[in-house]
Amino acid sequence: MARRRDDYAEEEDDVDYEDYDGVDGEDGEADDDYDGSGKTKRKRSRSELIDDYAEEDDDDEEEDEDDEDYGGAAGGGKRRRKAASQFFDDEALVDDDDDELEDDEDREEDFIVDDIRDEDDRRIHRRPLLPREDEREEDVEEIERRIQERYSKSLHVEYDEEATDVEQQALLPSIRDSKLWMVKCAIGREREIAVSLMQKCIDKGSELRIRSAIAIDHLKNYIYIEADKEAHVKQAIKGMRSIYPGRIMLVPIKEMTDVLSAESKSLDISRDTWVRVKIGTYNGDLAKVVDVDNVRQRVTVKVIPRIDLQALANKLEGREVPKKKGFKPPARFMSINEARYSCYKIFLFVSFILTCFPPKVDFFIYLTRDLSIRVETKRDPSSGDSFYKIEGMMFKDGFLYKNFSLKSLRTQNVKPTFDELEKFRQSGETGDGDMSCLSTLVANRKKGHFMKGDRVVVVKGDLQNLRGWVEKVEEDSVHIKPNEKGLPKTLAISDKDLCKYFRTGNHVKVVSGASEGATGMVVSVEGHMVNIVSDTTKELSRVFADNIVESSEITSGVTRIGDYELHDLVLLEDNSFGLIIRVLSDAFQVLKGVPECPEVALVMLRDIKQKIFMKIFATDQYKNTVSVKDVVKILEGPFRGKQGPVEHIYKGVLFIHDRHHLEHTGFICVTSKSCMVVGGSRSNGDRDGNTLISRFAHLRTPSCATQYPMRPPRGGPGPINNFGGRNGGGGRGLVGAAVKIRVGHYKGSKGRVVEVKGSTVRVELESQMKVVTVERSYISDNVNVSTPFRETSRYGMGSETPMPPRTPLHPCMTPLRDSMVSSPV
Amino acid sequence: MANHGGGAAVAQIPTSFGHELRACLRCRLVKTYDQFRESGCENCPFFQMEDDHERVVESTTPNFTGIISVMDPTRSWAARWLRIGKFVPGCYTLAVSEALPNDLQNICEEERVPYVPPKRV
Repeated sequence: MARRRDDYAEEEDDVDYEDYDGVDGEDGEADDDYDGSGKTKRKRSRSELIDDYAEEDDDDEEEDEDDEDYGGAAGGGKRRRKAASQFFDDEALVDDDDDELEDDEDREEDFIVDDIRDEDDRRIHRRPLLPREDEREEDVEEIERRIQERYSKSLHVEYDEEATDVEQQALLPSIRDSKLWMVKCAIGREREIAVSLMQKCIDKGSELRIRSAIAIDHLKNYIYIEADKEAHVKQAIKGMRSIYPGRIMLVPIKEMTDVLSAESKSLDISRDTWVRVKIGTYNGDLAKVVDVDNVRQRVTVKVIPRIDLQALANKLEGREVPKKKGFKPPARFMSINEARYSCYKIFLFVSFILTCFPPKVDFFIYLTRDLSIRVETKRDPSSGDSFYKIEGMMFKDGFLYKNFSLKSLRTQNVKPTFDELEKFRQSGETGDGDMSCLSTLVANRKKGHFMKGDRVVVVKGDLQNLRGWVEKVEEDSVHIKPNEKGLPKTLAISDKDLCKYFRTGNHVKVVSGASEGATGMVVSVEGHMVNIVSDTTKELSRVFADNIVESSEITSGVTRIGDYELHDLVLLEDNSFGLIIRVLSDAFQVLKGVPECPEVALVMLRDIKQKIFMKIFATDQYKNTVSVKDVVKILEGPFRGKQGPVEHIYKGVLFIHDRHHLEHTGFICVTSKSCMVVGGSRSNGDRDGNTLISRFAHLRTPSCATQYPMRPPRGGPGPINNFGGRNGGGGRGLVGAAVKIRVGHYKGSKGRVVEVKGSTVRVELESQMKVVTVERSYISDNVNVSTPFRETSRYGMGSETPMPPRTPLHPCMTPLRDSMVSSPV
Repeated sequence: MANHGGGAAVAQIPTSFGHELRACLRCRLVKTYDQFRESGCENCPFFQMEDDHERVVESTTPNFTGIISVMDPTRSWAARWLRIGKFVPGCYTLAVSEALPNDLQNICEEERVPYVPPKRV
């Protein structure tokens, strides 16, 4: 012991040069003690040097420790604690250079992901060092163990760091790796097979030479097996049903990584997202997510109810409900009162019966309760809202809250249309609801709708409110040329941040959405929404800025569907009649023939029985005859004071068109008795002017001006015919037009149209003294008859201008008119 | 495949294929809910799923894609590519949909075990 102390004293100086500041005093000493052989260096902390007594104590401790060590007893915690520094000491003692080299090698090896076998090699490599201290073999083992532990841990740590960065490159399959084999199997059983292969492997142990089995979700009918040889695969799947050994295909190395790249699409649906239902009565309906239950994969959504109250009541009464196939109740907001009162009738009936046969009171109540559609008020414990519960379905605010499984809802690519969103908003949501609706709308709008030359404005980001023109459209970004000076020529901006920009007064055309094909003028712009006044119908509509493009095209809209045109008098299914005032894409708006109370009905094509052609007369208040095209003035009733030409007469009811009347595109329905013919004998210039203008106005607008010079020469006979033979709103300028018959027996002959009767036309042939009846389609007219009415031009072009050319016609008209009037139709 | 240390321990194999199949969010081991509840996750014992039903729900998810049965993780290229080469043999999934909750991530850090959150497309 004394010798030792002297040794320590000698080495004090040496210690100073060691940079071992961080080491605990005891640690330093213990390390030194451990190295039995080479006690050349001794690492001591400062404190140790300063205090001799302390040293002694330490020495004693050290000695004890040494003894312990030499004794081979487990050092326990202390040894462990000194493990690291002790290890460093070892290497430092033996040979600095070698140690460092070793260390480096170790580190390098860590970077390369090797098998555990390499670790073994390393250990072997290191072994020559340790046996030098052959006195302490147990220590060697301890060291060994510790090294192993430490390295295995550090391997983990280092592995993690590179895992993200280097892995993909480092782990690409090489030719030394096992290959992937694609094996055909029974459909729907892929997962099962993968797992049973696992089970087989556990049972058979090392017999099975395959390394893994992979079942991909979206790849049906096949699984992948990883093995070195095809023979291994064959052997592994031998005896298994559902795998077909005949079809084993090798996956090329380049495609191996694609097999395993799974895209983790986020299946998370959050509240207030829009989804579409895929199954059941609500198939295709838009729904809003209210609650998500990830555990059970179910989602509660709110949707506009499609409840057949009648069927419900029937079911409750116990009556057989013939299930109508394909019958989908219309989507209507549930009115609780309606539900309640639909059963009220039943209740009354029952109570009536029961008063006749008075039963016991409780039975009575029981009976009524059974039959009524029970409307309960229930409170949802989680949200605290109160619901109405009918037959197990929960209602609130008119919406139905229904539970769907995640699989039966479509979450991707759900684009709520504007109409659907409007409906959802109708149930009285506040402005917040609006915002959320609109924001989702905006988010969902389809991309790629920008075109070169569009005027756009930036709506998000730093460049907000910057306006510019689209130069180039790319996948995700749009290049615009900004209006501001001082900015680079083109800027690339994500198309989500852009919005088409329109100024009031722009003439635009709707290219997608509900009102596709309509043109109009912009009256106001509100963010993404643009208010447009339609050219044809003069009504205000709101559309998305994305759905419109600037265009000078003026469409006249659809004016005829099937046989029925705008302003036709038609007979409806329920024997009522009316005038078509507007043609929609699949239906008509009809002004009903009920005088005094204007009623407009939306009528489908199939609900119209027929067109009314009858040419009848009516008498006005002063017993004058009123016929079509006469200008009358309304003397009584709510429309008093209005006047205009009569478009149709039927059953004593007149349909008058007053262009100053703002409702129903100017049509008024009155009884003939309450009117007075203005200008009894129809030689009224103004009236003529009107009708003439209207007729000419129906022609192509730009050519209207040019028509005029043409008209007067032929105007003599022409307009005369116009007045006479007009039936039920037809004609449209065809009468009096010079036409050529192109189909049929009279093909090639020219003639003039005498009158128009529905779909046939009577033409006076030029070559023969004959008036023939041909289909309207048989003639080619110089005039474009299909161009529909344009109220604008009617309004725009006053009757003033063309007056002069017509003046000479007046004398002709009167006498001929009468003759025409009397001609039978 | 009991070639070397670690071969003795094999994870439980899922016993059914319905909705109860769940994947551990850290190691992506696939088992049924009951199996997790019973014996926890073999690769992540520190989660202590056996004790707590809540733990199972927090640390596993039923949203996962694809199944890979790894018989020999150390020698399988696929297992290495998917970074499950250090885990016990068993059935794993290719990808999970969500990330481990923060408190469990902290546990991973404490235990000095690697955790890589799933890549979001």
